[in-house]
Amino acid sequence: MRKLVVITASLVLALVSVEAKRPPATPKPIANTQTVIKPKLALVRVNVTGQAYDYFRPWQKRAPFTKRALGAVLPRARVLVTADLVTNQNYVELERAETGEKTAANVTVVDYEANLALLEPVDKKFLDGLEALDLALDTVVGDRLSAWQLETTGALVVTEGLVTTIGMTRYPAEIGDFLTYRLSIPMQYRENSYTVPLVKKDKLAALLLRFDPRTQALDAIPAPIIAHFLKDADTQNYRGFPSAGVNFFPTRDPDLRKYAGQTGKPAGVYVTSVQPNMPAAKAGLKIGDIIVAIGKDGLDPMGNYVDPLYGKIEFTNLITAHAFVGDTLQFHIQREGKPLDLNVTLEHRASQDYVVPPYNVDRPPSYYVLGGFIFQELSRQYLREWGGNWQKDAPQRLVYLDRFQSELFPEANRHIVVLSQVLPANSTIGYDDLAYIVVQKVNGKDINSLGDLAEAVKHPIGGFVKIETQEDPKQLELDAAQVTAEAQALQQNYGLPSLQRLD
Amino acid sequence: MNRFCFFFCAFLLSSQFLQAQPNGKIQKSLVRITATDVDPDYRAPWNSGAIQRGVGAGFVIDGNRIMTNAHVVSNSRYLTVEREGDPNKYQATVRFIAHDCDLAVLSVNAPNFFKDMAPLNFGAIPQLESTVSAYGYPIGGERMSVTTGIVSRIDFQLYTHSSIDSHLAIQISAQINPGNSGGPVMQNGRVVGVAFQGYSGDVAQGVAYMIPVPVIQRFLKDIVDGHYDKYVDLGLTYSKLQNPAQRRYLGLPDDGRGVLINTVITAGPAGKFVQSGDVLLAIDDHPISSDAFVEIDGDRVQMPEVVERKFKGDVVKLDLLRNKQPTTVKVALDTVWPYLLQGRGYDVRPRYVVYAGLLFQPLSLDMVEAYRPTDLRLRHFFDFFVTEQLYLEHPEVIVLTNILPDPINTYLSPFRYSIVDDINGKKIRTLSDLAKAFEEKPERFVVKMIGEGPPLVLDPKQVESARERIKTRYNVVSEQNLEEQPVAKPPSDQTQI
Repeated sequence: MRKLVVITASLVLALVSVEAKRPPATPKPIANTQTVIKPKLALVRVNVTGQAYDYFRPWQKRAPFTKRALGAVLPRARVLVTADLVTNQNYVELERAETGEKTAANVTVVDYEANLALLEPVDKKFLDGLEALDLALDTVVGDRLSAWQLETTGALVVTEGLVTTIGMTRYPAEIGDFLTYRLSIPMQYRENSYTVPLVKKDKLAALLLRFDPRTQALDAIPAPIIAHFLKDADTQNYRGFPSAGVNFFPTRDPDLRKYAGQTGKPAGVYVTSVQPNMPAAKAGLKIGDIIVAIGKDGLDPMGNYVDPLYGKIEFTNLITAHAFVGDTLQFHIQREGKPLDLNVTLEHRASQDYVVPPYNVDRPPSYYVLGGFIFQELSRQYLREWGGNWQKDAPQRLVYLDRFQSELFPEANRHIVVLSQVLPANSTIGYDDLAYIVVQKVNGKDINSLGDLAEAVKHPIGGFVKIETQEDPKQLELDAAQVTAEAQALQQNYGLPSLQRLD
Repeated sequence: MNRFCFFFCAFLLSSQFLQAQPNGKIQKSLVRITATDVDPDYRAPWNSGAIQRGVGAGFVIDGNRIMTNAHVVSNSRYLTVEREGDPNKYQATVRFIAHDCDLAVLSVNAPNFFKDMAPLNFGAIPQLESTVSAYGYPIGGERMSVTTGIVSRIDFQLYTHSSIDSHLAIQISAQINPGNSGGPVMQNGRVVGVAFQGYSGDVAQGVAYMIPVPVIQRFLKDIVDGHYDKYVDLGLTYSKLQNPAQRRYLGLPDDGRGVLINTVITAGPAGKFVQSGDVLLAIDDHPISSDAFVEIDGDRVQMPEVVERKFKGDVVKLDLLRNKQPTTVKVALDTVWPYLLQGRGYDVRPRYVVYAGLLFQPLSLDMVEAYRPTDLRLRHFFDFFVTEQLYLEHPEVIVLTNILPDPINTYLSPFRYSIVDDINGKKIRTLSDLAKAFEEKPERFVVKMIGEGPPLVLDPKQVESARERIKTRYNVVSEQNLEEQPVAKPPSDQTQI
C-alpha cells in the first residue's frame, strides 16, 4: 500500500528525451531521415512546469516537474499541443527555436478526452515571422507523413513514416474511442519529443499520441479530430466531444440476430446497455435494439460504416468526429423485428457526471478529514496512484467499482466515498490499520458524495459520529466532541493546511 | 503459495545399523510410502488426469495404523508401504484423510505387517528452544536421515495443502527437506509433531513447520466414530475493540473486554444467532480480551483456538452484548461450506457440463489455478464469494471456462469466462440447474450472463447435430459430471483400526 509515483508512458517518453544523448550539430541524414528543402518553420518549443496532486495526501501537490515539447503553430497566433503536456500545469512557456527567445503562454482550451490543448502567448507578437500550419484532412492509409522534430540548434529533423491503419482506438483518458492514425516510423528521440506534429505537404496531418520505439509503431491524433476540437474551440463555450451513451455488441452470430429479430441481410449492432439520462436513453433506445444505420450510413454486423475516405470504420466515428454536441443523429433501429427511427440529440458527458470520474486534472482532489480519518471520493485518478499496473495492484473492490460502475449504479447520480487512510490520533486509536474501505452511511444517512458526508457529520447521534462501511469492520464510531476539540492539534501535527476541501 | 514446497518425495530407506538414538530405534516405526496419484485435469475435466508417483514418510501409531500427511496420499490410486529390513512392498489403504489439517491414517492389509513394528506415542507441545529431531528420507542419500533443531515459534499458520485452513503449527530450525513429509518429529522418545511444510531455500532458510500434537490428537479423536467430520467454525468475522469512543457507543466499560462482530456468514452456524454489531464478550465462559485473546488453562491464546478444539455438533456458548443488552446464545458448530470454494479439492472429480462445445464449470480454486483467468468479475466472485455472501444467490458460480471450437460456437468466444445468470428466464444456481436446463427442448436457449452484454443464443437442433462431431473431435469421453463423487470408496470395514 505504499504510495507509488504515477508515471505515464508519455512522461517516460519525456524523461528519455531529456536523457537522450545530443546528436552532433549537423546530423548525418540516416534512412528515412532527411532535411526537407526549405520547410516552413511552424514549430515552437513549449516548456511546461506542472505539479500533480498527491491523492494519498490530497492537501498537497507533488514536486514540480518540467516537460519540454514542440507545439504546432496555427493561424491566429495559436499553438497546438497535446493535453497530456499541460496536465496540472502551473506555468507554460513558449520558446522560439531559432532565437531562443521565450514568453509565457496561457492554456486557452484543453480537452483531456481528445488529448488536445491550445496555447496563446502572452506577447501576441511572439509568433510573428513563423508560418502557421493549416490542417490536412485527407490522410488515408498508404500516405506518408513527416514527423517534425527540432535539433538543439533549432534545425528541423524530418522523419517520414507510412500510415498503415486508420481506426478507432482508446485515448489516454479512456473515455470512448476516437479516430487514430497508426504509422510505422523509425523516429528517434529528440529533446522536446513530447508533442510531435506529423505533417503532410506542409499541412498538419496529426499529432503524436503514443510511440513504441521497439515496434516503431506510432499512434497519432488525426486532423479530423483536431479540426473538430478547433471548431468547437472557436465557439464561446467549449463543449467537448459528443456521446450517445450506448454500448453495443457485434451481430455476427446468426443466432443472436435471429433472437433479436433482425431481418434482411446481416447488419447492425446489438445494444447491450443504454446509460440513463444520456442521449440514446432520452431518445428511447433500449437494450436489445439493433442499430442498423445512423443517418444515411448503414452498419455492418461488426458496427462499421463505409467512410468515403477510409472505407470501413466503426460507426462511433460518426458520433465523435463528424457530429457536435447538440447535433441530432437519426438512429435507424430494429426492435423485435420492426423498424423504428429515433432522433438522438448528442451531449457531452463530463468526467464529474460519472460515478467514478475517469479523469480529474487541473483541479485539486476534494477530501474531508475527520478526527484522523481521511475521506475522499473514488476516481480513476485516485486508483492511478497505484501505478501503471493499478488495475491489478489497487484494492480489487475499488477497481471493480470503477469497471462495473454503470451496471452497479445505473442511475449514475452518486459518487463513492472512501475512507482512504487513517492518521493516527487519539480519536482513532484502534482504527489505525484501516484503509480503502467504502463508506455507506454516516449517522444513519446515505453517503453518495463527500458533501453528503460533510453534512451528515454535523448531526452526531448521542454525541457519536457513526460511520457504516461496506467492508469489515462495518461500523466505526468517533466521539464528536473529541474530534472537534482535537481538530486543530491534528491539523498542526500533520501539517494539514485545511481539514477539508469540498467542491 | 509457490514459496511453499511440500517435503514430499523421498528416497529409499535402506535400513542398517544406526548410532545411539535418544528417541529409540525409530526404524522400527518408520515407513516409506509410495503413492501413485491421478491428478484431475480441470482444463479437460473429462480426462482421468495425469498419473504421478511420489514418495513420503509415515509412522506407525497404536491400533495398527500408519500416520502421514494428507498431501502424501491425496488423489492416490495405489499405495504401497515399505519397512526396514523387509524387501516386500505392502499395499496400503487410506482409512481417513483430513485435507484441512494435512493428516491421514493408513491401514495395511497384510496381517503380519505390523508385527515387529513399534507404534510411537505422542508427547505434548515442546518448549520453545528445546531440541527436536526430524526423521524421514530427504534428498542427500538413501538411508533414513535425522536432523535436529530447536523449536523456534509456536503460532497459527496457513496449512498450504488446502490453502484456506489455518491451525496451530510449530516452526522448527531442523533442516528438513523434500522427503521429510509425513515423518515424525521426536523429543524424548515421543512424537511432538509431523513435518509437513516449509519455505524453499531461496525464500528463507531454516524455517520448517510441523503439525503439533493438539492438531494430531484432534484428528484422531474426530475419526473415532469412523468418519472424519472436518474442522468446524462459527462463520463470522470480528474486529478488536480498542477505540474508547466505539466502546462507549456500544455501552462497554473500559475493562479491555470484548470484540466487535463484523460479518456473520448466513450459511454458517452463527448465522441465525449472532448479528453484525454484536459485541462478543465471552466464549464458553472464557472472557475475551479486546484484542481477541482468551485464557485457557493458564495460557493466553487467540480466540479461535476455543473453536479449534471442538468437533462437529459441539455447542459453544457465546455471551453477547446486543444493543447494550446482554444476551447469551448457544451455537452448534459445523463447517461453513462457502469457504470450500476457495480451497483446493482432493480425491474428487471435477464437475462440468459440455454443451454445444461450451465447457461450463463451477468456480473453485482448482478451476482458477488451472485457467488463471484475469477477468475482473470472475476474480471478484472468487474473492468475495463468502464475505459478500454471493453464495446466497449463486451457491455455485457457473462459468463458461472454455470453448471447443466448432461451426456452431464460432461467434461465442467473447463469452469466455462469463458467469451464467439464467437460461430461458430460469435462474441458474448450480451446475445441476444448468444441466437440467439444457435437457429441455425449447425453440432456442437464451443464456443470460451476469452483467451487461448480449445473451448467448443457441439453437438446440443445431447443437444436437453437432454433438457427436464435437465429442469425437475433442475426445470428450463424457459430456458431463455432476457429482463430486469420491474416486476412492470410503472404507467399509473399520475392524482393523
